[in-house]
Amino acid sequence: MTSTTAVAISLVLSSCVVANAFRQKKQFYPSIVYICKSNPSMAIMYMQALVAVYLIGKLTGKLFFGSLRPAESERLIEKAWYAVTETCLAFTIFKDDLSPKFVALFTLLLFLKCFHWLAEDRVDYMERTPVISYIFHLRIWLLLSILTLGDIYFVHDAYTTTMIKGPSVQLVFGFEYALLITLAANAAFKYVLHAVDVHSDTFWESKAVLLLYLEFFIGMCKAVMYVVFLIIMVRTYTIPLFAFRPMYHTLRNFKKVFQDLVLSRRAIHNMNTLYPDATLQDLQAIENVCIICREDMTAAAAKKLPCNHIFHTSCLRSWFQRHQTCPTCRLDILRPTPLTTQNSNAPIPATPTPGRRAQETPLTDASASSSATDNSHGPSTSNHTHAPSGQAGSSGNSYYNQTPIQYQFRPFTFQQRSTSIDEINRSNSDNSNNGIPESNNMNESWISFMNAAGRSGGIGPSTLFNDLPPSTSNFPFTPQVPLHLPFVGGIAIQRPNMPPNLDTLSDEELRVMEENTRQGCLARLKYITDIKCMLDAAAVMMNHYSSARLVAGLDNTDSTLNSETKTSDITENDEQSESRPSSNISSETDSSTSSGVTSSSSGSEDQLIQEETEQQRIIRLKRLEKFGSNST
Amino acid sequence: MAGSALRRLMAEYKQLTLNPPEGIIAGPTSEENYFEWEALITGPEGTCFEGGVFPAKLIFPSDYPLSPPKMSFTCDMFHPNIYSDGRVCISILHAPGDDPMGYESSNERWSPVQSVEKILLSVISMLAEPNDESGANVDAAKMWRDDREGFNKVAETLVRKTLGIPTSK
Repeated sequence: MTSTTAVAISLVLSSCVVANAFRQKKQFYPSIVYICKSNPSMAIMYMQALVAVYLIGKLTGKLFFGSLRPAESERLIEKAWYAVTETCLAFTIFKDDLSPKFVALFTLLLFLKCFHWLAEDRVDYMERTPVISYIFHLRIWLLLSILTLGDIYFVHDAYTTTMIKGPSVQLVFGFEYALLITLAANAAFKYVLHAVDVHSDTFWESKAVLLLYLEFFIGMCKAVMYVVFLIIMVRTYTIPLFAFRPMYHTLRNFKKVFQDLVLSRRAIHNMNTLYPDATLQDLQAIENVCIICREDMTAAAAKKLPCNHIFHTSCLRSWFQRHQTCPTCRLDILRPTPLTTQNSNAPIPATPTPGRRAQETPLTDASASSSATDNSHGPSTSNHTHAPSGQAGSSGNSYYNQTPIQYQFRPFTFQQRSTSIDEINRSNSDNSNNGIPESNNMNESWISFMNAAGRSGGIGPSTLFNDLPPSTSNFPFTPQVPLHLPFVGGIAIQRPNMPPNLDTLSDEELRVMEENTRQGCLARLKYITDIKCMLDAAAVMMNHYSSARLVAGLDNTDSTLNSETKTSDITENDEQSESRPSSNISSETDSSTSSGVTSSSSGSEDQLIQEETEQQRIIRLKRLEKFGSNST
Repeated sequence: MAGSALRRLMAEYKQLTLNPPEGIIAGPTSEENYFEWEALITGPEGTCFEGGVFPAKLIFPSDYPLSPPKMSFTCDMFHPNIYSDGRVCISILHAPGDDPMGYESSNERWSPVQSVEKILLSVISMLAEPNDESGANVDAAKMWRDDREGFNKVAETLVRKTLGIPTSK
């Protein structure tokens, strides 16, 4: 209503001006000169020109878009206001160049911008409407090609002018039109995607991914353009204030898209590789409806998250592009809590490491299962609650997933431990139904522990355990393989943490540890618990040693094993699986056995041992090595 | 094939038509455009909004249900959690990540599990129990806290207005 009156007034005024000029000068050229010389007439003529542009805009808008929807015009007006403000700011820089020509050019730019925005809106609208007419396609095609051609022409124009005449306001035009090209390209690609989707009969799963990638690349182009523009402007003129708001938006959007892309890729990868397909029973339990799209699910196209919620794979994929949580319970997919993972048996490493898994040997299963029995059969004393060194299996895994964030100054040990934990965790699930597996590498763990503690006394694993099955040697011997102290003396012992080399801590890290912040406290606590774990382990070893020594006093004639290690002197009760080989205890511990606790069952064991033959002992030794997995 | 957003909206519309929850009527403005809905919400019983029928509109994004819709009342409203232009400010309508008021925890935010029905039901409960900490309309929040009688009176006039009954004064 107001626009029509404005148009009418402007028309009346301009016709008045023209009529007045003709009345006074009678001829064409003098009247034109008259109008150009009189400021008020010119003002009115400019107004008329503006109104004409507006009318032309309306007309072309009708031609290409039909009638605008309320949401579209709302968005258009909002964006146009920003564009006008920024243009006014731009004028302040180029006030020397200010002339009607540039005003006209800026108006044209604004005009074209509006069409780009509308084209984008229209393309987005394709997704929303069930009916798309041929006219719609024709219009979009025409519009997008005209816009792109126009943009390219103007960019070219700006480039040549700048090259010939040096930097001028054309720089801004060139940049703006280059941005508009990206807008047009974005709209065109989206249009193609939507059009393909509309014409296909099935749900196009990868469309959302393609859209995200498209957004990423367009965002990258824009960000690069803004940065280049900023540099050029700062070098030739001054800081382009008018470009800051859109630049900030572009960069922020780009960052967000980039994060989304990375996180969603990770989450989707997790989903594809780790989460099981839903079974028919699962589906029946939840009435077979995917709560994201409210449609029925089939077992093949549905995934079960670690929190036992089931969704369509495709629905999950598009949701993970926004947020990496379970839609129902908001469990963080990339960083599950220990509680959840302990309850469910599915392993959920935060960073899937397929490469590592490939190296895995079946043997590592043994350590896993031993640690599993550890967890399940230990009477869960206080050790269980403070888990900095990681309970074996899944809970330990999730702990280590968080480690790099909280304890960034221990990257070395973390790396190694997470590897082994990963293997363990993985094999944990593999091996859950294998019955009682062999746990030969327990000894390796012991040795590694001793080696790391610097008291191995030159005893390598090969000299110690050359009677073990040959497959043992395949086990990768790393000095920091986690040690799984199994169920000993009725107490579940944690695997002690190898202390990292503290010399490598940088000043910064040390300062962090000294601070009274949360991070500092956590770091200190971490070291303290590490120390405690090692002390616990040492105490257990002392236990074993003292019981072994008692027996050794009675039975000293061992020929099968290296006498240096005293491995053969191990006590064993055939029914009990609680004791373990104290194979490589060195003389250092020997001297301090006074603190060792006498084993409660050693008395009865002594008698049994005396009756054993050599062969029996070897068998018994081998069995001992498996004791970690022995659950009875 | 139509977009997943459209299919989900159609499914929700069907669900709402077959089993309409009490006190709620909602549906697309036109069959052409399923992304703009109109809803009628009755004021919850036993509150100052009792008896009122409040029209509202919902605008759905093209990536619904991954992003939440926008909801605004099209009638005059005076409520701590409704902006003066009618926009509704409840946490379920905010995507996780953006927090306009800085107090919501992420577990009450939007997720695809939510639906139009749940949104409208939470709006009803919001009408019954305003959250005066959010303060989309500070005047209303202040009045709700300090001058409950005055608030009730304003609400009553609003209710009468929506029903087309002249105020009793």
